[in-house]
Amino acid sequence: MSDKIRTVEGITKESTQAMIDDALSAYPEKGKKKRTPHLAPNDASSGCASVKSNKKTVPGVMSARGCAYAGAKGVVWGPIRDMVHVSHGPVGCGWYSWGTRRNLMSGIPGVSSFPMQFTSDFQEKDIVYGGDKKLKVLLEEAHNLFPLAKGISVLSECPVGLIGDDINSVAKQSSKDLEIPIIPCNCEGFRGVSQSLGHHISNDTIRDYIIETREFAEPSGPYDIALIGDYNIGGDVWSAKSLLEEIGLNVKSVWTGDGELEKIAATHTVKLNLIHCYRSMNYMCKVMEEKYGIPWLEFNFFGPTKIRESLRAIGERFDDVIKEKVELAIAKYEPIMQAIIDEYKPRLDGKKVMLLVGGLRPRHTIGAYEDLGMDCVGSGYEFAHNDDYDRTAPEMPDGTVVYDDPSEYEFEKFANALKPDLIGSGIKEKYVFQKMGIPFRQMHSWDYSGPYHGYNGFEIFARDVDMAVNSPTWKLVKAPF
Amino acid sequence: MSNLLGLEVKKVTETPPEEVERVRNWINSEEYKEKNFARQALVVNPAHACQPLGAQLCAHSFEGTLPFVHGSQGCASYYRSTLNRHFREPAPAVSDAMSEDGAVFGGQNNLHEGLENAVALYKPKMIAVFTSCMPEVIGDDLTAFIKNAKQKSIVPKDLQIPYANTPSFNGTHIHGYDSMLVSILQTLTEGKQVEGRCTGKVNIIPGCDFNTGDYREYKRILKEFGVPYTILADVGDTFDSPCDGTYNIYAGGTKLEDAADSINGKATITLGPYATPKTFNWIKDNYSGKHVSMSMPMGIEKTDAFIMKVAELFGKEVPASLKNERGRAVDAVTDSHQYMHGKKFAVYGDPDYLTGYVSFLLEMGARPHHILCSRGSKKLEKELQTLLDGSMYGKGCKIYMNKDLWHLRSLVMTDRVDAIIGDTHGKFAARDAGIPLFRFGFPVFDRVNKHRYPIIGYQGVVNMVTEICNKFIDIKDETCEDRYFEMMR
Amino acid sequence: MRQIAIYGKGGIGKSTTTQNTVAGLAYLGKKVMIVGCDPKADSTRLILHAKAQNTVMDLVREKGTVEDLELDDVLKIGYGDIKCVESGGPEPGVGCAGRGVITAINFLEENGAYTDELDFVFYDVLGDVVCGGFAMPIREGKAEEIYIVTSGEMMAMYAANNISKGILKYASSGKVRLAGLICNARKTDKEFELVSALAAKLGTQMIHFVPRDNQVQRAEMRRMTVIEYSPEHPQAQEYRTLAEKILNNKMLVVPTPLEMEELEDLLMEYGIMEAEDESVVGVAEAAA
Repeated sequence: MSDKIRTVEGITKESTQAMIDDALSAYPEKGKKKRTPHLAPNDASSGCASVKSNKKTVPGVMSARGCAYAGAKGVVWGPIRDMVHVSHGPVGCGWYSWGTRRNLMSGIPGVSSFPMQFTSDFQEKDIVYGGDKKLKVLLEEAHNLFPLAKGISVLSECPVGLIGDDINSVAKQSSKDLEIPIIPCNCEGFRGVSQSLGHHISNDTIRDYIIETREFAEPSGPYDIALIGDYNIGGDVWSAKSLLEEIGLNVKSVWTGDGELEKIAATHTVKLNLIHCYRSMNYMCKVMEEKYGIPWLEFNFFGPTKIRESLRAIGERFDDVIKEKVELAIAKYEPIMQAIIDEYKPRLDGKKVMLLVGGLRPRHTIGAYEDLGMDCVGSGYEFAHNDDYDRTAPEMPDGTVVYDDPSEYEFEKFANALKPDLIGSGIKEKYVFQKMGIPFRQMHSWDYSGPYHGYNGFEIFARDVDMAVNSPTWKLVKAPF
Repeated sequence: MSNLLGLEVKKVTETPPEEVERVRNWINSEEYKEKNFARQALVVNPAHACQPLGAQLCAHSFEGTLPFVHGSQGCASYYRSTLNRHFREPAPAVSDAMSEDGAVFGGQNNLHEGLENAVALYKPKMIAVFTSCMPEVIGDDLTAFIKNAKQKSIVPKDLQIPYANTPSFNGTHIHGYDSMLVSILQTLTEGKQVEGRCTGKVNIIPGCDFNTGDYREYKRILKEFGVPYTILADVGDTFDSPCDGTYNIYAGGTKLEDAADSINGKATITLGPYATPKTFNWIKDNYSGKHVSMSMPMGIEKTDAFIMKVAELFGKEVPASLKNERGRAVDAVTDSHQYMHGKKFAVYGDPDYLTGYVSFLLEMGARPHHILCSRGSKKLEKELQTLLDGSMYGKGCKIYMNKDLWHLRSLVMTDRVDAIIGDTHGKFAARDAGIPLFRFGFPVFDRVNKHRYPIIGYQGVVNMVTEICNKFIDIKDETCEDRYFEMMR
Repeated sequence: MRQIAIYGKGGIGKSTTTQNTVAGLAYLGKKVMIVGCDPKADSTRLILHAKAQNTVMDLVREKGTVEDLELDDVLKIGYGDIKCVESGGPEPGVGCAGRGVITAINFLEENGAYTDELDFVFYDVLGDVVCGGFAMPIREGKAEEIYIVTSGEMMAMYAANNISKGILKYASSGKVRLAGLICNARKTDKEFELVSALAAKLGTQMIHFVPRDNQVQRAEMRRMTVIEYSPEHPQAQEYRTLAEKILNNKMLVVPTPLEMEELEDLLMEYGIMEAEDESVVGVAEAAA
């Protein structure tokens, strides 16, 4: 947490409210009423959310949100590398989410890792007669053709829930027959209001079907931890893990970036859960705390300031051996970080950035931008809850705009008013703003770059931000004639 | 123990490296191929998406038109991001965000509220509604819903709202394209047929084509001819819009009045016979003028057929400029035939692309050795077989209908080819086989500007030949022994 | 071409009534197609003399996709050149029977089953309008006339009223109308009067009162309609009369369904239901 209230020149609560009112004025009455509580100026001192969240998306407004299936398949399950993940239902959902998140994985594709699209490709007949029989055959085929897969997840798409298929009983029977875990996840896209419910359902599924089904072969040690809520976008896990190991910790499992099923199943024996993406994995952290007494700690590996704070907070949970290594690591990397800042900050100082991302980045990356001298003038989430906005309030300058599940119309309006030097959001927004001549980075996928986590990541992050903001190509946008 | 599967608790295991090695070799084997081809239920790496994606592409192809997904918001996000990634362009579309209550009570309230907001915020000239899974399973009645919306004055009475049922558990994106296109044309042309009127124009239906360069190419060819035209429908400008500091939510598309008047056209040619059969059948029954369905003009011969058809329909000579263009394209292929002759290819894609690839390869003297369609038909199979039978280079080539890219992988690992023609999704198979992948289809997520280079017409031939031949030459330069590394190729 | 949907409580005799009526229309020289919209697939067996017809969905399941299906595979010709199609669908408790109806009707439309020569298309629809799928036959451009088969039994009348509610919803946006109640008599008390009264309250008519006669069962055992089995029998004449009434029916209304209380009052008026005694509500037998 930051200790002092920051402000941005020219932005006050009043100016922000006027901008919000202007954006809302285009809405019909009902839509306006629904959207109003989701837009507000930040009240940094309160430490509390200023907006409502986790409500149904307003129909017809062009939201950036996905669905429960996206949260389950794309976020939680997809990155587990040694499982076959079956998109159960029609072909589309799995096809659209095939290789489009950048959760990199080790292993040999099709042999020991499965970055592929498995689907039951439902046809009319499967809707009318139900797909349970097909599922049973499919699971057998998957097991025979991919014998090294340690398990299979079955991720339901909308029709499966609508027609009332019982994938849970198929999974149970096939698990016995094939002698591998087959995990049914009832994450139909129509459930809930966003990806978020998909995370929750997946956490519950891990609770019910996976955790405590394995034990580590080697004896446990005092420095055993799990890295939770890091999905290895662009290699983030590899960067974060090496840093955690450098400070003496033993990363026993990762949830779920480049993850391995059996290690996830044995996580109940670690000493501490370190959670990066709170939104998508807090549920299981709480379960493991209650059931196995494992404490958990949120941390932030974006930018040297937050990394330093986080490393020290992690060190506090351990003995002097670790604390000492933490200080050694900080001492080793800070000069390197300073050199990076010295290179980029002169070109980025005072530049303004707006964010609209998913689980943690709308607050977690703010410090990294600030390390480069930039100000965050607006931030918001696609699918956050109140506790996320509570955590965001102190990170953002006072009076800047907070938006929850904004429509593209609102986002555009705010960008037009605030004239940011950079927008960090997703693929659906990217080209809208680039047409407007506003530099943009995809902050879900690191725009085909990364990693951004850890000290190694900051160097790449700084380079990418500078590249986006200061690319000479932006000067070409306006024709001289 | 907490797990619901009732499995025994075991230690965490590591797969032994020799076992990994064994399976790694096994999946390349003939034995594995047989097992793989025996699959009944599991689909791995399909080369097709679902209907609404095509419907959205079609909706984007009309001026001022807002694509509207009746269904879950997640579906809309998937279609949009797919189009964003392929074109590297905005793909504005809304959904009415149906959720659990919509599943039980039906989606009329969502649709109505969504229409009201969409009209207020995005001021469309037309809203094109199409469906994702949920309303299709529960049986929402779009006809009634939209009529009610107008009756209740939720939307202006004169706002055009064509709609299409596009269930994802039937057909592929090309079928969704067809359903949306026919619905839009039915809506726009209603009452527009004028006895005795002829616009003198040709209506060109390119089909579900994801290459913006192709649309520009059709227009250029017709301009050379001096034949006035209406493209049904034209996504060329929508997804190849200028970056000039302003964002235009409706960047392109066929003018609505042109589409409305297309019913009085002099002729209509569909060049996507597999992507627009429904549309074409309806046009045959309802449009004035002549109606022609022919293959996508890929390769010299199919382009010749198209050019001659236009000449015939409009009683014109093929202009000198096009004659020269053809000559230059033929010059390009004769100059470079040696780099492609006899080379074996695996090709896959949507049916209209597929007939084009095969025809093009055969006329180059190359062999379309494995031909695979993820959702094919008997008709397609027959047409492809006829193409193969018509050329000595088609001998020994095999067609695989309703097979996926994991089948393709088995094919290229057990019966080697020199290259694959397809799209980004083929990159794993190509890498495993150690051969190049030519991305002429959809989607292309991992190369830039591919959609700007036409693959139809004579220019398309030049583009394809250039890309393919130079790649083969690159490979030679990169892999040959020093003593064979030469200045000339 | 007139398209007609027949609804009614399960077990009321819809399929029998529909087939006999259609046979009556055929007898009168009309060209008719029956589309069975019930997974049980028993809407055409009396016309085809068959145990069970190949249904659209059965063949879709067998062949994999709808595209591989030919019209001839599912459209059979029976007595009086009546064209017969069954949508088919799953066993109870699995899948989505409603979607089966949508799939089948879409298939018939796309493959030209609705030819101009047809005078009538009858949809024999399962029980109630339980979901969007079972309302498919009354969407715009399809059936605009609905007949509800009922009897003087309480549950049948409840169902008739409920179905009218469904029709009202569709009638407000489309052309679908209630064309009448068909009373398939069960020989209950004051059955004629009661069903006539319900019809009046709904704003429609009891288009015909089909008396109960075992000749229907005798014909059914031979998988025939009465009209074909014993054309001279008085029961055959009843169905021909019904067919003629339908042929000439001009009374198409937007129904005015009853509130629950109104319906109960009506039933009490005819002595079908006793007035509620509040003092016994929730009291178990032993306690009483």
